Amino acid sequence: MRICRIGIRNFANFRNFEVTTGRNIVVVGENKVGKSNLLFALQLIFDPSLSERDRRLGLEHFWDGLGDDKLGETIEISVDLTDFDADPRLVAHLGGYLIDPGPPMISRLTYRYQPMASLEGQPGSLADYEYLLFGGMYPDTPVGSTLRRMLPLDLLPALRDAEKDLANWRRSPLRPLIEDLAGILSVADRDAILEAVDGAQAALSERPEVVAVARTIGRRLEGMVGPAHATSVALGLAPSRLDALLRALRLLIDRGERGIAEASLGTTNLVFLALKSLELDRLIQDGERDYTFLAVEEPEAHLHPHVQRLVYRHFLETAEVDDEDVDEDEDPPERAGDATAGRHVTILTTHSPHIASIAPLRSIVLLRRQADGSTEGVSTAEIPLNDAEVDDLQRYIDVTRGELFFSRGVILVEGDAERFLVPAFADALDIHLDELGISVCSVSGTNFAPYVKLLGPSGLRIPFVVLTDRDELPDGTALGPGRVRGLLGILRPGRDYEAMDEAEVFRRGALRGIFVNSSTLEPALFATGMRRQMVRVLKADLPLRRANRELLDGWEARPSTLEPTGLIKLIERIGKGRFAQRIAPAATADRCPAYIREALERIRDEVA
Amino acid sequence: MRLRSSSAAYLRHAGDLADNPGQQAAYDSQGHCVVLAGPGSGKTKTLILKLARMLAEDVRVPQGVACITYSQECARELKRRLEPLGLGEAQNLFVGTVHGFCLRHILMPYAHLADIGLPRRLAVATNRQADVAFKVVAERLFGLNQPHKRDDMGRYRRVHLDREAPDWEADPDLARISEGYEATLRRQGLIDYDDMVVCAHRLVSAHDWVLPAIAARWPILAVDEYQDLGVPLHRIVTRLAFEGGVRLFAVGDADQSVYGFAGSDGDLLLELAERHDIQRVRLELNYRCAGRIIEASEYALGETRGYRPYDEERLAVIRFVERPGGLADQAAYVIDTLIPEALAAKDERKLGDIAILYRNAAVGNAFADALMAAGIDFVRVDTGAPYRKVELTSWIEDCAGWCSGGWRRGRPQLDGLLTRWVRFRTSLSSEREANKAKNLVTAFLMRNRRDDGPAAPFVAAIRRDLVDPLAREEPSLHDQMEQVHRMGAAVTAGGKLEGLDLVGLGGRDGSPSHINLLTLHSSKGCEYDVVMMVGMDQGVIPWNNESGAELRESRRLFYVGLTRARDAVHLIYSGWIDGRYGPRTFGRSSFVEELETRLLAAGQE
Repeated sequence: MRICRIGIRNFANFRNFEVTTGRNIVVVGENKVGKSNLLFALQLIFDPSLSERDRRLGLEHFWDGLGDDKLGETIEISVDLTDFDADPRLVAHLGGYLIDPGPPMISRLTYRYQPMASLEGQPGSLADYEYLLFGGMYPDTPVGSTLRRMLPLDLLPALRDAEKDLANWRRSPLRPLIEDLAGILSVADRDAILEAVDGAQAALSERPEVVAVARTIGRRLEGMVGPAHATSVALGLAPSRLDALLRALRLLIDRGERGIAEASLGTTNLVFLALKSLELDRLIQDGERDYTFLAVEEPEAHLHPHVQRLVYRHFLETAEVDDEDVDEDEDPPERAGDATAGRHVTILTTHSPHIASIAPLRSIVLLRRQADGSTEGVSTAEIPLNDAEVDDLQRYIDVTRGELFFSRGVILVEGDAERFLVPAFADALDIHLDELGISVCSVSGTNFAPYVKLLGPSGLRIPFVVLTDRDELPDGTALGPGRVRGLLGILRPGRDYEAMDEAEVFRRGALRGIFVNSSTLEPALFATGMRRQMVRVLKADLPLRRANRELLDGWEARPSTLEPTGLIKLIERIGKGRFAQRIAPAATADRCPAYIREALERIRDEVA
Repeated sequence: MRLRSSSAAYLRHAGDLADNPGQQAAYDSQGHCVVLAGPGSGKTKTLILKLARMLAEDVRVPQGVACITYSQECARELKRRLEPLGLGEAQNLFVGTVHGFCLRHILMPYAHLADIGLPRRLAVATNRQADVAFKVVAERLFGLNQPHKRDDMGRYRRVHLDREAPDWEADPDLARISEGYEATLRRQGLIDYDDMVVCAHRLVSAHDWVLPAIAARWPILAVDEYQDLGVPLHRIVTRLAFEGGVRLFAVGDADQSVYGFAGSDGDLLLELAERHDIQRVRLELNYRCAGRIIEASEYALGETRGYRPYDEERLAVIRFVERPGGLADQAAYVIDTLIPEALAAKDERKLGDIAILYRNAAVGNAFADALMAAGIDFVRVDTGAPYRKVELTSWIEDCAGWCSGGWRRGRPQLDGLLTRWVRFRTSLSSEREANKAKNLVTAFLMRNRRDDGPAAPFVAAIRRDLVDPLAREEPSLHDQMEQVHRMGAAVTAGGKLEGLDLVGLGGRDGSPSHINLLTLHSSKGCEYDVVMMVGMDQGVIPWNNESGAELRESRRLFYVGLTRARDAVHLIYSGWIDGRYGPRTFGRSSFVEELETRLLAAGQE
């Protein structure tokens, strides 16, 4: 099962919000854009620990943009669920709330906070409001607490105090594991344990020194309240009942040398998450739950980046196991010892590129503020990408590129050379990419299509420009125009770009943010004032034969004589990326190739 | 730790089944199971324990067991018997009528997703609305003196399910009336009771996706009194069970099928029992009737069933009594001779252990008048009763039972009363409002606790404080309110139940101090020490022109009457009946004639 759509009206940051979602949901967005509010919205529907009072919202929960007109408005949160057809228990929970019989079936759950239906006229205050939780299309089908109990949302908040939760017996995820212990131990084992503990206890508490201390306390007590009221005291280790003993078990770390209270925040959180994961397994196995929506707010808190990646890959991947893959007769797939495999989805909110980088591509939900102050959501769930493109992007989005999802604008470039030089030229042009939230991303080649789909109008709708080479071949034809035609086909389908000549294609490309040079980057740079630095670096870094030095001098003196292939061969001996780094300090505004400048100015204007 | 979701109280009673192999087999069944249960065979007990076991062992919330019964009354009786097992209001147990199940669990969740021509909000037509719609359509089509009756149309709709089949045109007049009638109701956004089943059948048969949805929610379907449930339900059940994977547990007795006139058919049960993929269990031990009554009933039926009495030793009385003076003479004999005899025959026997059974209300009227005149308290269940039992009147009766001492024992359970109250209202939007409504009822009931007193002020108070305001908000209760009005009138001065006390109102079913007066049809499922079958004259049972299937059904009705008795059956007749133009002499009932002949023949062997 999965959530396939979330709709929110008039709630917190959301005026009229709708987003389609994939199996897991990784919510990314800037601070204060409404990530936590999105989780709260889901809690209103799914969280069994929320009280009646919590579900009666306050004025502060209405969309801010309503200003003084909040009373009388209705808050509505609806979630569509799908892909549960194969599990009769889930169908039993949700089959009464269908909005589409499918296949696959889709059911809808809705929370609505509204002026009371019985009210005549305008509500005078929130006392005239009521909330409804209903399923399907119509509010006369209430959703009961059984659903919340058996398909609950578990929220681990950002500022959780893992140490306190572990210490609090009633709330500790350790508790059920230890309670199971009591059932496993045989009577003989129990007796042996008690005997051993009693022995140890006696060894300590019957020492005369210890007894003396107890007696001192006893005498003082008697002195204070007299013998009738004084209780007798003794010093001992632990209550000698087995269940109490088991409860006294504590998690120890570092080979038992330290208690969890002394551990670092990171370790505590890690242990907490491991116990939480075991708890989910157990709840499913015991039949107390049929499904869990595990929501973790800002999982990056207190965790080292590597550990972040490992831990959340665990949660996300066990959830990605499809329901039909969970088959007891088959060899368990990697990590699928977990009973929760296929029985939970993970919902994360994060601003960590580390987490974003390990998120399944289809799981990203991007929140961003719109002009009216409300938040819109876009997601990767339904971007028309084929499997190869998904794989390509999934490989591509590593830690450094995870920041793509947090960018306000993206400059897509072919390789490392552009990745070093474009920021340098941007600085020179007074366009400060970091401040503007613009990332430069290399696609390591010329296959821009998946990225354009990801960022483009039917994707995340993040403004972007493409910088690419015209790539003229020895026979005089060029690869660039075909590439641009392909991208235009994605961005603005329905035109016959094949019939257009190169100039027309490039003109239209530029209108859509695709900028092309005349051949490749390095010759284009050589045509500018950069060539001095280029020649200097080549001479300095390469052991050049005399003939080559003279050749370079000749090209520098008369740029029109440049043989592009010869130049590139020399540069490749250093490595294009390294070479670019070396010449970058020489970047100035007037040395910037025109196509780069146009691209930078365009993206600057678009994110403004 | 696993949460226990269902009461385990049934385990204490399960041992009772061990000495009855049939009951035990039904209780142990794992797959589809049909229980063919003769009279007095303990079928309800078996059903109750099996329901409890399946709830505890075979399903877990949100999945549940749906138990469909013939009438509101049967459903209430089942619920009453489930209550001591801790299953009075189990959330994953549905106990209700076919109509209730079709409406609540087939049409309401799924009909709006399929185009079967139903309005989205399913409002149920009141009896009057349905009458008007029928009359308008029938008269428009066939003139003011058109001969068709609403019942004929109802039956036609229940029997001819497939509108596309040539079969639908078997009676073109009724087909046109049905179509016009349905269109008229739909224009008003209404459906009637037949629509619930007919449309549910249409939905289930035409839309495959509905099957897994229903099967997931209700993986087990139990049906009580299967023989009475008719073709549409049979089709729904077979589709769900054999194509949808729902497990079926059906209980019934084809010999007690007496609703053929309404479209039901006992053969459907036998057809079901013949399937190779169903476990068939026969309950052959009769706990109720003495051996001789069992013997007599098989003669009356004309078939040998091989039922055996549980208690071989018990003696029975079967008497044939002719009172040539007509119904008044019969009544006088019953009152002056039979009742005193019956009460004297056994210690502790009370009026409540005696029943007077008859075929039609006219006979009932004669006996009611005579009993009234003789000052004998009686409870009457038929169309001539002071009021008909509907959910709302049953609820008022149970409230009376709770207030008149029931609260001390927790029977009926307060929570059940509150839940039923909330369910009367379709428009409660939130839990808060529901709680408010419950608080109102609780306060009323607490206020009105008294151990005894007259029923009339109680009925007036509960109407004023609770029922009448409810009825103003819920027009759908219109039909039921008619019965509440009749109840109110009956208990006040000059009414048929004048002077009834609170205990009496609360214990209207099975009151020990009232003799039972009911039609043969209403007597189904009941049992009494002594049964007096009165008005057993040719021309009434069977009716004069009966033959074929109708005659067989009358015979089964006669059989049902006989098998209500534990110890004694009196068959009373005059040899003539009142016709429209005076007395007509057809002799005593041919069933009685036949029975006596056979008993005599058997006695001579």
